[in-house]
Amino acid sequence: MYKIKLEHFEGPLDLLLFFIKRDELNIYDIPISKITKEFLEYVNLIKMLDLEVAGDFILMASTLMHIKVRMLLPREVDEKGEEIDPRAELVKALLEYKRYKEVSDDLAYMESNQRKLSFRGNFSADEKVAVPEYDTLLKNVTVYDLAKAFKHVLEGVKEEPVHQIQRLNITIDEQIEYIINLIETHDEVHFLTLVENMKEKIRIIVTFIALLELVKIGRIKLKESKRFNDFLLLKGDN
Amino acid sequence: MEKIYNSVIEALIFSSDDVISANEMIKAIKVIDGEEVQVSAGEIEEAIDFLNKNYEEQNLSFRILRIANGYLFATTKDYSKYVGYLSSEKSKRRLSQAAVETLSIIAYKQPITKPVIESIRGVNSDYILNTLLEKNLVTISGRAESVGRPLLYSTTEEFLKYFGLNKLSDLPKPREIEEIMNDEDFIEQKRKIMMNTLEDSMENEIRTDENADQT
Repeated sequence: MYKIKLEHFEGPLDLLLFFIKRDELNIYDIPISKITKEFLEYVNLIKMLDLEVAGDFILMASTLMHIKVRMLLPREVDEKGEEIDPRAELVKALLEYKRYKEVSDDLAYMESNQRKLSFRGNFSADEKVAVPEYDTLLKNVTVYDLAKAFKHVLEGVKEEPVHQIQRLNITIDEQIEYIINLIETHDEVHFLTLVENMKEKIRIIVTFIALLELVKIGRIKLKESKRFNDFLLLKGDN
Repeated sequence: MEKIYNSVIEALIFSSDDVISANEMIKAIKVIDGEEVQVSAGEIEEAIDFLNKNYEEQNLSFRILRIANGYLFATTKDYSKYVGYLSSEKSKRRLSQAAVETLSIIAYKQPITKPVIESIRGVNSDYILNTLLEKNLVTISGRAESVGRPLLYSTTEEFLKYFGLNKLSDLPKPREIEEIMNDEDFIEQKRKIMMNTLEDSMENEIRTDENADQT
C-alpha cells in the first residue's frame, strides 16, 4: 500500500529544501521536472487540507512550471552574452531561505538553553516607583506606541447609549371602548386601519388584546379580508 | 576602582528588578560618592567577572548574566527543573519553528518590511508577525521610504533577553551561502536541540504524573 507521511513544512521553500536534502540533489543543478512533479503531488494533498496555506504552495508550483518551460526553450542571454539559467533566481531564494532557517536552528538552541535559567526580578509585587526624569520620560516609547495608545483611548471612549423609557398608560378597557366606537360608526373596520395611527408597540398590543377580548364576549366578529395580512372587524350579534 | 565597589555593583544588580546597565550603575555611584570617583564600564565588567568567579568557587546557584546591554542575576541551569516547577514563567510554550524563523530574518535584516520577510520565507507572515509583536519580541521601528511607506520591524530588548544575548552583534553569524552546502556541523546542532526537547518532555511527564497522583 502506498503511504504518505505528511510532515510539517513552513512553506514552499522549506518543502523544496526537504526534497533537495532527501534526494541529495545538487542545489545548483536542480532536476526541475522531477521536483515539480513531487511538489505538485504534495500540493494536491494539502489543497484538501488547508486552502489558505495551499495558496503559497500553488504559487511556487506555478513558478516551478514556468521554470520548466523556460528550460525547454533556447536560453535567454544577458548583456554580457552569457546564458541565463532559468533556475538561478529560485536557487538564490532557496539559499537565502536556508541561511535563515539554519540560524533559526541556532536560535532555537539558544532559546532552549535560556529557558533553563530563571532571572531574578521574577516578581511583580514591589514595583519600582521612579520619579520620572526628563531623559527617561520617553524611555522605550516610540511614536508608534503613542499612536497606538491614542487610538486605543479614542476607540475606548464610546458613549454609553441612554434609553429613555416613557410610561404609557393604556388599558384594555380604553381600547375596548375605542374599538366599539369605531365599529358603531363604520360597521366594518380593517385591523390595519384600526392600528394605523398607533406609534407605540405597546398600544397596538393592548388594542389586539382588547380585540380578542371583544371577540370572546361576542361583541365583534372577525372576517377574512381580501387584503393581504389583514382582517375585518364586524359588529357582533349581541 | 576601589574594592568596595565590587559589593556595590553586586547590590545594585541584585536589587534591580530588570536588566541594569553599566551606565545606570556608574550614575548611581557618582551621585552618592561624588563625580570624582573613577568608575568605568570596563571596571564594571571586571567586577562582574570577579563576582562570578567567586560564585563559581563557592558553588553558588546563581550567576550574573550579561544580557540585553546590561546585567541580571539568574539561576544556573543545574537548578532549572526545581525552579521551573515553581515558576509559571518557564512553563510558557516555546516559540514555533515559524516564529523563530521569522525572528531570525528580522534580527539579521532589521529594520525590515513585511513584504521582504514574506519574500524570503515564501509564505504569508501576518499571523506570525502579530504574535511576535504581542510577545514584545519585535516592534515597529518606523516606516520605509519606499512606495507605500510600509512599516519597518526590528527586534526588542526582550528579544535579547529571551535568547540570552547581550547585544545584537552576539547573534550567531549566518554562514555564507557557499558554506551552507556542507551540512555536517548542523547535524550536531540538531542533536543538541533534540536533547533539550527531550529533557523538557521528560519534565512535563514528571509533572503530569504528579498531577495524576494528586487527583
